[in-house]
Amino acid sequence: MKARSLLNRRVQLAFGAAILASLVVGAISYRSMVASTESNRWVRHTHEVLENLQYSLGAMQSIESSYRGFALTGEESYLESYRAGIRSEEQGEVTVRNLTIDNPKQQILIPTLEKLAAQKIQFGERVIGLRRTTGLEAAANAIRSGDDEQIMGEFQGVVRQMQDQELQLLIRRDADVKRRLGQTKTVVILGTVLGLVIAVAAGWSVQGENSRRGLAEEALRDSEEKYRLLLDGVQDYAIFMLDQQGRVASWNAGAERIKGYRADEILGQDFSRFYLQNDIDQGKPEAELQIAAASGRCQVEHWRVRKDGSRFWANVVITAVRNSSGNLLGFSEISRDISERKETEAKYRGLLEAAPDAMVVVNQDGEIVLLNLQAEKQFGYRRDELVGQKVKDIIPEGFAERLIADGTRSALEAPAQQMRAGIELYGLRKDGSDFPIEIMLSPLESSGGILVTAAIRDISVRKAAEKHLAEMVRELKRSNDELGQFAYVASHDLQEPLRMVASYTQLLAKRYKGRLDSDADEFIAYAVDGSNRMQGLIQDLLAYSRAGATVKVLHEISSENALKAALTNLRATIGESGAVVTHDVLPAVTTDDTQLAQLFQNLVGNAIKYRSAEVPQVHVSATKNGGKEWIFSVRDNGLGIDPQYFERIFIIFQRLHGRKDFEGTGIGLAICKKILERLGGRIWVESQPKMGSTFYFSLPERDGK
Amino acid sequence: MMESIGMGAAAIEVLLVEDSPGDVRLTREAFKDAKVHINLHVASDGAEAMAFLGREGKHANAPRPDLILLDLNLPKKDGREVLAEIKENPALKCIPVVILTTSASEADIQGSYQHHANCYITKPVDLEGFLKVVRSIDSFWLSVVKLPSVPCS
Repeated sequence: MKARSLLNRRVQLAFGAAILASLVVGAISYRSMVASTESNRWVRHTHEVLENLQYSLGAMQSIESSYRGFALTGEESYLESYRAGIRSEEQGEVTVRNLTIDNPKQQILIPTLEKLAAQKIQFGERVIGLRRTTGLEAAANAIRSGDDEQIMGEFQGVVRQMQDQELQLLIRRDADVKRRLGQTKTVVILGTVLGLVIAVAAGWSVQGENSRRGLAEEALRDSEEKYRLLLDGVQDYAIFMLDQQGRVASWNAGAERIKGYRADEILGQDFSRFYLQNDIDQGKPEAELQIAAASGRCQVEHWRVRKDGSRFWANVVITAVRNSSGNLLGFSEISRDISERKETEAKYRGLLEAAPDAMVVVNQDGEIVLLNLQAEKQFGYRRDELVGQKVKDIIPEGFAERLIADGTRSALEAPAQQMRAGIELYGLRKDGSDFPIEIMLSPLESSGGILVTAAIRDISVRKAAEKHLAEMVRELKRSNDELGQFAYVASHDLQEPLRMVASYTQLLAKRYKGRLDSDADEFIAYAVDGSNRMQGLIQDLLAYSRAGATVKVLHEISSENALKAALTNLRATIGESGAVVTHDVLPAVTTDDTQLAQLFQNLVGNAIKYRSAEVPQVHVSATKNGGKEWIFSVRDNGLGIDPQYFERIFIIFQRLHGRKDFEGTGIGLAICKKILERLGGRIWVESQPKMGSTFYFSLPERDGK
Repeated sequence: MMESIGMGAAAIEVLLVEDSPGDVRLTREAFKDAKVHINLHVASDGAEAMAFLGREGKHANAPRPDLILLDLNLPKKDGREVLAEIKENPALKCIPVVILTTSASEADIQGSYQHHANCYITKPVDLEGFLKVVRSIDSFWLSVVKLPSVPCS
């Protein structure tokens, strides 16, 4: 429609332009013709003037020869031509005057001409008079006097002058006519060409449009054909038309496949034969047509019957077909065999029932469509009490809406997702009590839109277990803290009375050694030794309970400096033993420098302490382990350790050697282990007896800031 | 409880604030070998120490000590409070206070110096160490250091 009006418009425009061009050409031609006619009139006018001048001159000569003839012969007949000459001359004069009325130059000359003509006539009268009164001689003398010739000469001069002027005018007008003619020719040619071009262009355009329209019509026919073929080719859907009374009016391949009738068998038959007898008896076919006619569309799912009498579960859409003025023409029916889906649904129901969790299927309106036995049990409702109810009745409001939104969105994203992991959800039982739940959602596309299957798990037991575990952890931590506190307080408070015991037994030994008997000296010596060892243990216990208790803010420090600090503290030990302590370049690490120095001091100290007969050689190095941690090693050439004791040596107060061989309480490695636990590292040993030992410890790589 | 040893014109007055009789005795034993004559006065808790310094009640005739040896963990009035009160009192603040305690806690050391303790000593756990410390107090504070002879302003 739009294309058509556009075309019309274009054609109109083209023809309009052509007509305009013709009009312009016509106007110019007309104007040119008018001008040309005018010019021609003027040329004719000039010729007329020239003719009349010549005529006047002729008349004047005729007058002269007439009165000269009369003078010579005296014959009256000359006088007749004389009179005729005067009339002609007068007529000629009048004509010339009238013709040159618009030409001032000529008008100026006309009185002279008239005067000369009058003089000539006067002279003629005189000659005629002289011939009559005095005869031939007098008249001849008068003529010979020269006046006559002079007047005639002047007259001819004026006539020639006027003729010259007219001739000049003639030449100009002639040129003008020719110029106009030329212009007209050009304009006419150009105008004609322009008109032709426009007409051709318009014609071509119309031609093109027509051919296009032709193509479009062909395409439309083609697409209708394709559409028909498409409908015909549809195998999965029965698509056919019914007339107003419900008789089959068209039939496709899908209809034939699904219902079993060939087109020639079924066309014109009433469509009610597709229904179960029971449905026909209830008037369902008519009722469905009425619904379609009333509301435009009727969608149902029910049993249908094939030609062979077998039934199938069909999804049917009947649509009213109306013409543009709204009159009912008939119906279209699209139906589909969904028996398989119905079976799938049955299977799905089976699966749902078998699920260990409560399963609730919800539609997009938040209504419960389906649920299983577990759901009945968990929520305490009977099935029929829940189907059709809002899901928010059993899941707190707000979460239910999310359930729908999340579930339908996830239909496009993930196949299943846990709803708002980490947030505690509660289910509501029929009796009003609630219980903690976990919901897994998965979308389910169905004929009625997207459904959401929610697997709802009662996590009361798990929650209780988690809570119990958390309580246990808290209790354990508290008891651990208490123990640490106890170790500190006990060792600190024990120290005071012990100091008294030690000090006074020492004072006793100092003052009374050798002044009592030898038994007393021995007893005092044991008391002093015991109290000294007790003091050692208590101090180590204190040191252990303090170790790592206050971890400082960690800074990036040089582990090499920490080693140097440790070696400074061990100066005396190193000096006494003659130990050689070497190290590689050690890295900067983010840790507590005091504690790192303590680690080095304990490990290097042990390496020297548990030396073999050889000069102790200790080497400290560090390697990076996969970018996550530094591993330090302290290698010695000492006694070595039997692998069976690798665990034991790190336990507090556990010793591998008698006090006679080596002093110590067995606290050093326990302190190392505790420090590393606090710093997030580990400690272990690799060794063989008599082969030396290598103690390793790791420190996590941290951001130094 | 109040005790004094050695009376003499040139004697130096030392106030020992200490609740442990064992430590008092040990201190006394250690001062026995002192180069100068020491009058050792003992207050067994913080309240008594302040009473001694303020010459209250039975301490009306107490001398002004030249040096105070102060334990931190005391009954009634804590050693930390005693230190603070001494150092806030214009009449007492010039008396050197040596903290002599079993505590080696960083917090106690910091706190004491912040309250202008003149030095902080952790009691050594063994007898020899203890005797050495007391002797060094004697040699440094009572022999080397010149103490003010009149109460400060």
